[in-house]
Order: sequence, then C-alpha cells, then structure tokens
Amino acid sequence: MREYFNHVKAIVWKDCVTELKTWELFSTMFVFALLVIIIFIFSINLSIVNSYDVGPGILWVAFIFAGTIGLNRSFMLEKENGCLQGLMLTPADRTALYFGKMISNMVFLILMEAMILPLFMIFFNVDLVSHLGPLLIVIFLGTLGFCALGTLLSSLSSHLKTREIMLPILLYPLLVPVVIGCVRMTGEILAGKALATQLKWIGSTACFDIIYIGVSLLTIDHILEE
Amino acid sequence: MNEDNESGPPILIWFTVLMFIAAISAIFMYVPTEKTEGIIQRIMYFHIPCAWLAFFAFFIVFVCSILFLWKKDREWDIYAHASAEIGVVFCSLVLITGPLWAKPVWGTWWVWDARLTSTLVLWLIYIAYLMLRMRTDAGSMRARYAAVVGIAGFLDIPIIHFSVLWWRTFHPKPKMITSEGIGTGMANEMVITLGISLFAFTLLYFLMMEQRIALEKMKDEIDRLKREKLYSN
Repeated sequence: MREYFNHVKAIVWKDCVTELKTWELFSTMFVFALLVIIIFIFSINLSIVNSYDVGPGILWVAFIFAGTIGLNRSFMLEKENGCLQGLMLTPADRTALYFGKMISNMVFLILMEAMILPLFMIFFNVDLVSHLGPLLIVIFLGTLGFCALGTLLSSLSSHLKTREIMLPILLYPLLVPVVIGCVRMTGEILAGKALATQLKWIGSTACFDIIYIGVSLLTIDHILEE
Repeated sequence: MNEDNESGPPILIWFTVLMFIAAISAIFMYVPTEKTEGIIQRIMYFHIPCAWLAFFAFFIVFVCSILFLWKKDREWDIYAHASAEIGVVFCSLVLITGPLWAKPVWGTWWVWDARLTSTLVLWLIYIAYLMLRMRTDAGSMRARYAAVVGIAGFLDIPIIHFSVLWWRTFHPKPKMITSEGIGTGMANEMVITLGISLFAFTLLYFLMMEQRIALEKMKDEIDRLKREKLYSN
C-alpha cells in the first residue's frame, strides 16, 4: 500500500516539476478561462440580466472548457517521446498511473480556478468572500468529477488520431449531471442559501465522482494496454 | 452461416411483418381516438416502443461491453456495435416523434423538460460512441475503447435522469404503470394496442440485430480473406 502511494506521489511530482519548468499548461488554461469569461461578458448585457443568475453558468463553462485543454495537453505530453510507454514499463500499477494523472490534473485545475475566482468576483461584481467555504466544497466536488471522468477519457482519446476533437465529444454529454448540479449549487450559494439545502445535488455529484473513479479503476487496465 | 439463412431469418422476418400489420391496424382502426388530444395521440404507439427499444438497445450495449472486457471475444464487440447503431436509430425516432406530438398538444416543438433533455443527452452519448468507433482503426484497441465508453455511458443514465428531473419536468406522467397498478390510467384498447406495438418493435430489434451481426461478420470474413489471399506474399 505504501509503495502504491509512493508511485502515485512520484507521478504527481513528475507532472508538477515539468509544469514548474514551463508553466505551459497552467498559463494556457488560465488565459483560456479568462477569455471564455470575457467573451460571455460581451455576449450578454450585464446591466439587464442579473449577474447572480448567469454568473455560475459562465464560471463553470470557463472551468470546463479550460479543463478540457488541460486534459488534452496532459496525455499528449506523455505521448511525446514515448513517455507513456516508459511509465507503463515501470512496475507501478496502472491504477496508480491513473490516480497520479488524475491528481495532477486536479491540482492544475484547482490552481487555475483559484486564480479565476477573484477575477470573476471583480468582473461580475459578485460577492464570493462571504460564501467562500461552501463554494470551495462545490468546486472541489465538481472538479473531482470532471477529472475522474476526464482523465479516463483523455487517456483513451490520446491514442486516437483525432484526439483534440474526440475528447470533448465524448466528455461533455457524460458530464451533464455534474454541470447541472454544480451550476445549480453555485447559484444557490451565491443567492445566500446554505449548502445544506442542496443535499440532493451534493449527493448526485458525489455519486458521479464515486461511480467514475470506480469505472476508471476497473477499466484503465484495458485502455493502457499495448 | 448458410443454415441461418435457411432457417433463422425467414421465420423472424415473417413474424415481425405479421406483428407490424397487427400493430398498424390496431393503431389506426381498433384503438379509439383520445378525447382531449385527438388524432395526434396515436403517435404515442410509435413513440413509446421506440423509447423502450432505445433504452433496451443501450442496455444491451452495456452488457456486451462488460462481457467483451471480461472475455475479450470479438463476438461481444460485434453485438455491442450492432446494438448501439440500432439504439441510436430508435433514439432519433423518439426525438423526431416527440416534437411532432408536442407541437399540436403543447403548442411548441421543444421544451427543456427532463425526459426530453435526458433523451437528447443519451442520443449524444451514443453518437459519440459511434463516432469513436468510426474514427478508430479496426482491431482490439477500438473494441476496448468502445467498451469502456459503452460502460461509462450507460452508468451515467440514472444520474442524468435524476439531475434533469430535479432541474425541471413537464412530460406527461406515466400512464401505463402507475401507483394504482398496471394499465389503470388508460382504456383497455389502448393498453392492448400499446402492447402489440411494443411487441412488434421488440421483434424488429432482434431482426435488425440479426442482420447487422451477420453483416459485420461478413466484413470480418472479407478482411480475413483479403489478408490471406492478397497480402500474404
């Protein structure tokens, strides 16, 4: 068990070190998310619509679009120079590889989200500080679900010729429950309701997280097989 | 192969044809017109069987995907592929017949109701599944990836169902199976007609499966022969 954790840790560490060297992934995701938000601001008239109504949806669209770029990039890096082959030759378990990639994807995504939130607060003139605790729980649950399923599907699509196109096509329909749940929860939290009133959404999002981590653990062996 | 052609399909084909004649005559002649919705309500006898078949077909994809990953037998991959294609066809029919009914009854083609939304998402999931199959070269990789998506897609259905249900719903409440028992919300003739129609469509599913599986096996055979005769030296 300890060895297993060391394997996971090593993969996460490897990804973080690569990222610290180039800042490529993080900067791309951050700028992209920012652009998505700005494009939405141009496409709606904030003086007519209530920013508490449209804000949560825009925030999550930005997270998910930028996250997709991150996912695409993360397995593409492994494919270059046959790194994935090398990782698969190590004695580490395939599920450790999955967890490692998932956690590193999640770390980058959460970092990006942490940078986007203050900007979102300024642009939309929304008060996030007073609801920060529940909001972070929702963002964590949503990001976990996104990364659990996203890492599985990006490990699969990275082997295809049309990988950049196939990942969103496969990922977005499956992600619908997480998007609905997280947008709804974020909206209710910003409207000042307690997270405890949203139990069914927490339940459905958490179920999604658990189901897809489970599915990934059971099927990753069949994907990373050459 | 030859034996199948002689004994298998003809019986099934004729039985399906007979059931469809029965179903269509029941739908257009036997069953009374519904009081409030009028003639358009008869589309329900196509709409519900299509929806049932789509779900059934996707369930078969799920089961065959699991069996494929377990046994690694090409047979299960073929079944999953065939069933997914048929499922998408019937899911498309659901999405077409639904708005046709909704326009006169609700006054609009489409509303973002729970069941409509979840059917649309379901359709998108299996379109993606078929695209994945199309974009990947034949072989064990395609079969494995498709199986993973087939499993992940089906497991999403209950979560999608509940999340869009809490999101919003306008769809007519189920009339066939209610809390008072089976078929109490409908007239007897309607229940019988729906039953015949459901049965006819289910037969159609098996017929199409049989044809599609035979086609896919023929393709495999051609590939094998090509490799053997054309590329061997």
